[in-house]
This record gives sequence, C-alpha cells and structure tokens, in this order.
Amino acid sequence: MNQSKSAMLDRYRQEAGLSQGDLFLRYFELGGMATALELEAALFGALLPSMHDREVIAHALNERFVELGGNHPVPYK
Amino acid sequence: MSSKCDSNYEFGVSVVFGGDRANVEVLGVLDGSNAHLLGEFLNAAIASGSDLVALHLEEFDLEDPIGIQIIAEAAHHLVALGGRLTIHAAQTFLARLTTVDEFRDLVEVQAREQDPEHLGIAQSISSAAMTPRVASLHPEEELRRLIAVPSSRDVVDGVLRLLLGIAQVAIGGADGVSVSLRRQGVLATVAASDQTISAMDANQYRTGEGPCVDASVTGRWFHAESLSSESRWPRFTPAALGLGINAILSLPLLSEDHPVGALNIYSRTESAFGSDDQRLATLFAEEASSILSAAGVDLSDTQSSHQIGRSLQIRRTIAQAEGIIMERRGVSADAAYSELRDHSQRTNQPLREFAASVVDSTQLPKIPTEDRSSGGEHESK
Repeated sequence: MNQSKSAMLDRYRQEAGLSQGDLFLRYFELGGMATALELEAALFGALLPSMHDREVIAHALNERFVELGGNHPVPYK
Repeated sequence: MSSKCDSNYEFGVSVVFGGDRANVEVLGVLDGSNAHLLGEFLNAAIASGSDLVALHLEEFDLEDPIGIQIIAEAAHHLVALGGRLTIHAAQTFLARLTTVDEFRDLVEVQAREQDPEHLGIAQSISSAAMTPRVASLHPEEELRRLIAVPSSRDVVDGVLRLLLGIAQVAIGGADGVSVSLRRQGVLATVAASDQTISAMDANQYRTGEGPCVDASVTGRWFHAESLSSESRWPRFTPAALGLGINAILSLPLLSEDHPVGALNIYSRTESAFGSDDQRLATLFAEEASSILSAAGVDLSDTQSSHQIGRSLQIRRTIAQAEGIIMERRGVSADAAYSELRDHSQRTNQPLREFAASVVDSTQLPKIPTEDRSSGGEHESK
C-alpha cells in the first residue's frame, strides 16, 4: 500500500466520525491483530499492514458508514 | 461582556468581565430558592480566568445561611487558584460574615476609604489578605484536587450539566448549549439546554458530520460563523438552518489530552460569537476537560472494562465462526474470514451478527421438555 492510499484511510476515519480509539476498538472486535499504535501508523502510511489487516480496517470503517446510512466506500484491497 | 439573571424581582445577579477581573453584583434578598444562582455566577467568574473577583453586596441581604457557605466556597476556590475575592458590603453585613467559621480564617476586614459612589457605611474584606489555609500547590494540581469529585458517571454528568448552565448564562451570544461525550465508541448528548439543541446534536450524530463531531474526533475547535454560507457539512447544515440555528461554536473536551467529546454552543444569530465569547467558551471547555481528566480513572476502569469484556466476546465469536467455516469448507483462516466479511458486505449485516448465527447453526435443535418426559413415561409403561 502506498502512502497516498494509507492517508486515504485516515481521511475515511475522519469522515466516519471515529476517533483513532473508536476505530481501534472496532478493528480489535473484528479480529485485527495490530496494536493501537501500529493501526495509527497504518492509517498514516508509516506502516504497511498485512492484506488481512487491511481488510479488517476497511471493514471496520465500512460498518460505521453503514450505520450512518452509507454503503461500503472503503475498498477492501 | 456581561450577563444578568433575575430569578424574580427580589433577587438579581450581574457579572461584568474586564481584563483580569470580574465584578459580581448581587441585588435583593438571597433565600433557599435562588442561592444556587449566586454559586453559579461566582463559579462562572472564577472559570473565566479572572484573578480578581469583586463581589458587591451593598444592596443585598441574606435570609438563608447557605449564601455564606456559597461565598466561602468561592473564596476558597479562588484563593487556591492564586486569585482574590473581595467583598464589598455594609459594615453590619461584613460583621456577620466574619463571625462565621468558614470566613474567619480566610479573610480579614480592611478599612476602606469612603467611596463617593456608595455613600452608606461600607467596608470590604479580601480573601488574599490572609495566607490561604490550603498549602499552595501548583494551581493546576490544586484545581484537580478541588474538582476531584467521586468518580461516578452520574456525578460527572451532573457537574457537566452545572457547567453547561453556567456557560449558557455567561456566554452572551448563546441561545443553547450542549455537552457531547463519546461512550462505548458512540457520541451521545450528556446535557442539553433544550430539545432543539438535543435535535441539533442528534442530527450531527445521524449524518456523521458537523462541528460537534469534528471537534470530538480531531480535538480542535470549530466555529461556524454563518451557517447560510457554510460548506463543510453539506448533510448537517440544512437541518441546522431548518431548526433556526445560524452560528455554532464547538470546542473539544479532552480527557488526559485525548478528545472524548465537545462543548457545543448554538445561536440563532449569525456571527453571534465574538472574541470574548470564544475566549470564555474555551475556558469552559478547559474546565470541563479538567473534570473529565480528574474522573478519567473511573472512565477507564469501569466503562472501559465493560467495553473490553464486550469486545473480547465479539472477537471470540468471530474466531469461532472462522474455525467453523474452515472446517466446513476446508479453507484457510484468511479465506474463512473473507467469506464472513463478504456476507456482511453484501447484506449490510454486521459481521459480528453473522458470525453469531454461524456459531448458533452448529447447535442441535432443542427438544421440548414435555416431549422428552412423555416419551419417558411411555417407555416405563
């Protein structure tokens, strides 16, 4: 994942109205294996998450967008 | 700036802020029904950051001893913060005050030159004239000690509601105020001045946008000076205008430097919040943040432990569902997870709910108790 795509993840987080702590909790519930710090690094592109973790982050964000009446704007791959 | 409150024609309080001092003038008779107003105004004066608070009681009398207690508490609070409370009143009134234990150690009466504007017999007492009874700690530490309320959510909410009431009275342009806090990952309104304001907050939670949401997520403050020309929140703004709101100021509430919510101030008037209001609102938000930080132990211990237990249960259920799919399909863990996630994406059913249904599907149907017992009776015959 390149830097711009990672930065996009943090923009999605902000659009979803989630703090980094909120997102970590949701990511953790869905089986994410990274620490909160690693997740934050992944959101800003400082760390490359595994394919699986990327999928979990995307789904945690998408479930929030569904709660807000949206669809699944965050790509999984 | 100033604000004024008249609970009835027999009692009134006005607060005038200027520089590092605040003048609180009280008129009329204080009794059990209006005593809390005096406390709220004194706290507002202290919360504004004023080092010098002058309490003018020349036109005032006490019918209820709780008034003395309220004034004493404010004096202690202000002295602990390094400030000074000066009381201006008739000599007989001051004599009554200084016979009370709470005041005796805190103040001394100072002879006062005749004030040409107050022709009656007047003296003043000052809380800074004596060494405060509380040893001087760092002001911030002292504040934390003073507001170290019992760590229960109800008490924290109650203190925030009190602060909200003071903010609404003190901030000139405010038509409504609310406090939002994030609990279990979701923003909720803890206190709001009326139903329109609650609806304003709810619209922001529903659309996932607005100054309250942004302040509580980013930890920065947001000012919508005129909603009619606002473009940042296209889904929220029309709803706000529909409710007659034209200006919003949202300030972040922080617990231990982490954003946990927002103090929201709404006005029906465009450009209602000038620099004085913004400064005062910031002080109120900082005060609320101190309360939240002081109560942070409770939030992390009780609320978070409950949340962590819930999260671990969800995680466990999803892992069980993964294992079941791996066994049924003969696929890898990642492939099993993708199947769960695909289903959630297609149906908009949260992944945790689908995982729970997969786990439930492994259970044999329950046999009604009546059938089993009747079968047993039949066999025994």
